[in-house]
Amino acid sequence: MNRRKIGVYVCHCGGNISDYVDVEKVVDAVKDEEDVVVARTAMFTCSDATQQEIYDDIRELGLDGLVVASCSPKLHTFTFRGVAKRAGLNPFQYTQVNVREQCSWAHTDDRQGATEKALRLVRAGIARTRLLRPLEPTVVETVPKTLVIGAGIAGLRAAIGLADIGLSVVVVEREAEVGGWVKDFGPMYPRDKEGRELVRQLEAKVRQRENIALFTSAEVVRKAGSFGDYVVDIKTHGKSSMTMQIHVGSITVATGFDSYQPEEGEYGYGIDGVVTLPEYKKMLDAAEGSLEYHGRPVKDVAYIYCVGSRQGDDGPHQYCSRFCCSAAVHSALELYTRDPSARQFHLYRDMRTYGRYELMYRESREKGSTYLKFAEDEPPAVRKGADGRLVVTIRDQLTGQKEVEIPADLVVLVTGMVPRENDALVGALKLPVGRDGFFNEIHPKLRPVETVVDGVTICGACQFPKNASESVASGLAAVTQSAAMLKQGRAELDPQVASVDPQLCTDCGVCYATCPYDAISPQEGHEGRRVAVIDPATCKGCGGCAPVCPERAINLEGYTQAQIKAMIEGLAREVV
Amino acid sequence: MAVARPTFIDEVRQSEQFNAAACMNCGVCTAICPMGLEHLPREIFRYVVLGMEEEVLKEQETVFSCLLCKLCEENCPAGVHITENVRSLRHYFDRKAFRI
Repeated sequence: MNRRKIGVYVCHCGGNISDYVDVEKVVDAVKDEEDVVVARTAMFTCSDATQQEIYDDIRELGLDGLVVASCSPKLHTFTFRGVAKRAGLNPFQYTQVNVREQCSWAHTDDRQGATEKALRLVRAGIARTRLLRPLEPTVVETVPKTLVIGAGIAGLRAAIGLADIGLSVVVVEREAEVGGWVKDFGPMYPRDKEGRELVRQLEAKVRQRENIALFTSAEVVRKAGSFGDYVVDIKTHGKSSMTMQIHVGSITVATGFDSYQPEEGEYGYGIDGVVTLPEYKKMLDAAEGSLEYHGRPVKDVAYIYCVGSRQGDDGPHQYCSRFCCSAAVHSALELYTRDPSARQFHLYRDMRTYGRYELMYRESREKGSTYLKFAEDEPPAVRKGADGRLVVTIRDQLTGQKEVEIPADLVVLVTGMVPRENDALVGALKLPVGRDGFFNEIHPKLRPVETVVDGVTICGACQFPKNASESVASGLAAVTQSAAMLKQGRAELDPQVASVDPQLCTDCGVCYATCPYDAISPQEGHEGRRVAVIDPATCKGCGGCAPVCPERAINLEGYTQAQIKAMIEGLAREVV
Repeated sequence: MAVARPTFIDEVRQSEQFNAAACMNCGVCTAICPMGLEHLPREIFRYVVLGMEEEVLKEQETVFSCLLCKLCEENCPAGVHITENVRSLRHYFDRKAFRI
């Protein structure tokens, strides 16, 4: 076998790595390894200057393998693939070694151990790189059509955007009407435009466009095919129940959220006069003048914030729901427009009326709203008073820790957003669900609407709590991303996928069930035998099938049986 | 346990200028006060907006010790009309405590 020419770059990460890993020692230990022709450290490997240095090395030394030992491959795989590609090296002849998350950050108490581990990982990376071969991306033709699931404000706006950019759009809505939550809303912040009016406008625009097909009372029941040409089964309910099959190039998920439903007794929920934020909004939107509840006038309103949000380490909803502070403050302002003499008390843990919504917070105080702060471990309590009115008790952090009783005609539990139950859809689309139950993007900053499933984007509040503006903004981001994927008419897929050696395959069937993407199927006709075949466009390269094959007939490109063996040898070698 | 009385603020309010609720409890006023008045103005205003009358009545000396120098008002990030509010409070004491 010809000798390889491998370049190794070990990153300081400005101290993030080099404070706990002796990067110079790692470089010293590998610079004379077989096939390594250059090994260096860099303060920031991802910097333009070091990228240029790698570029020059590839060109001048004719490198045919690249090892970068820095941070997680989640962060910079595409950065260094790009460097390789620009310099004329096949981008798949590069290995990312993670010596930050796996070494320096994990072993801050053990500099020597962290350094040894880094060295072993780098050696494994070199071993893998030695056996890498150039790969070309799989090219697929794309269908110029997008499926939008969910016709709330984000889905509707996305559908219009997609249609106007020249793609065909199919919108599927589970409910009988479009508009989601917003269709029932009155004035919304900022600017107090009515939600129902916004939805009316969007629906009219959707109906004007000939390249949008809208199905209500309909659900996605199955997805097959692969990115560029997904085959989706849609089932409609009601009088004309039917199932139809469509071909789409990409899918945008905008299935929205559910509102947190407090348990009986949680902050007095269940007592007459204790309502959730959506219930309160409905009352406000319906009220002409001052507010009434069950025939009684409402003069004193107490709001309790963070109900169903920020539940601590044990709760299912540990996150801040983001929109609710602003929504509650806006509701308070809405009440003032109906009844300027209403008295409003806001019991909060932290006010987060971010950005320009801070102005609403200020306005509410100027109009007389009083804010009281409670501690996480001492939440306010709600009970029915002797006179039949409600009583809220709070230890107010802003009044010298004094316990205060607040009489109220209405207690509003400012409930947050929770992920919507969507198990069937998650199953059909293989959507990635985060620990909080919302759908996950690939990268919160750089790839905010794409998912790990190629061609499937997410937007709106199915991703995380968002207000209407943010939902629409993400919907339009999904439009751009879908258009970027489909407008070229072809797409390049990662070629690091698994394949079956038909000579070794015995059609035992173990791998079929292992694949989470349904990429493996039996095919007749290999020298008269039936064997397993993996569709390279559907395979995500997860590697789940390779280890279960009893014949070792499956190899994952980039992580072949031979490479894994070589990496283990690299890891296990004595550290001198 | 103090019981909030939301109507109390109407007894103290002398003019439309009275805006004790606009306070966001940052504490700049207390830190900057040349008299070192600990409870003025932030905490007393809270007693007013919450309707904790007993607590307000305990603060008579503080309310009348204020120089009305406006140093706090100039530096208030929430635009609270502190001196106007203190004047309202003095009127309240005149009526309530001194009966004039």
